Amino acid sequence: MDAKHQEDWLDRQLREAAPYIDDEGFTWRVLQQLPARRRRRDSLRAVILLGMALLASALAYVLSDGGRFLVVAMARLTTLPTFWLLALAFGSGLILMAAGVVAAISKASELRP
Amino acid sequence: MELTDADLVARVLVDDDQHAFGELVRRHQSSVRGLLRQLTRTDVALADDLAQDTFLRAYKNIRSFRGEARFSTWLYRIAYNCFREDARRRKEFVGINEEQLQSEYDPQVADPGLRHDLMHALSLLPLHERSAILLCCQNGLSHEEAARVLDIPLGTVKTNVLRGREKLKRTLAAWGPD
Repeated sequence: MDAKHQEDWLDRQLREAAPYIDDEGFTWRVLQQLPARRRRRDSLRAVILLGMALLASALAYVLSDGGRFLVVAMARLTTLPTFWLLALAFGSGLILMAAGVVAAISKASELRP
Repeated sequence: MELTDADLVARVLVDDDQHAFGELVRRHQSSVRGLLRQLTRTDVALADDLAQDTFLRAYKNIRSFRGEARFSTWLYRIAYNCFREDARRRKEFVGINEEQLQSEYDPQVADPGLRHDLMHALSLLPLHERSAILLCCQNGLSHEEAARVLDIPLGTVKTNVLRGREKLKRTLAAWGPD
């Protein structure tokens, strides 16, 4: 009798000796013992962030003489050469894209099991 | 389309979806309980307690599952650790209680059934060989996966499987294929 044949026979016997065990309420018992679900704090976080953003905007508006700094900034932008305007737009786009990529990578690693 | 284990784990991670975890338990309960029954030498009640503990620990520590191994391999590792901790708590030095086992073995009253003889022969193996045989030959893990579950070097797993197989073959020589 060849050794390989015998090993296969033994492995088959071992696998057959481990029949499927019916659940019979096991999963239910496990689920009953799980700790309570974590509270979803996402909505609370969003409310806080939005509130802070609104408050900061209101403060900036009041402290800058009715948002006058915006008018000044826009006026300065119009005096810039076209090349500098394009460079500014390109740079801003790059920064936004980098932030998006970082956020996507961070979310992906969170989802990865 | 049926969700993979990785999909279910992701749902547990992101939404704390206990239904998804329930599906994982349903899928793997048989193999985990089966392994623990063999490790505890067919003490069904103890094995099921340890299996429950295994799944509860898996739920609490699911963030530590990185997906580098199969989910079942990760579960086997937790199950094996639960078993070892329980054995230590009971002050049974795992794998040493062979004298008692040998005394239980009486070839005169051996059951004629192959399965019974196989299970008995398996229970006579020292724990390190039994664990390796159960994981590799019965549950289909690779030697590398078994080494990860048992937290021992790959070479040791291979040796344990080889020795365990030889002992089983010798014990079951009368039943072997012609």
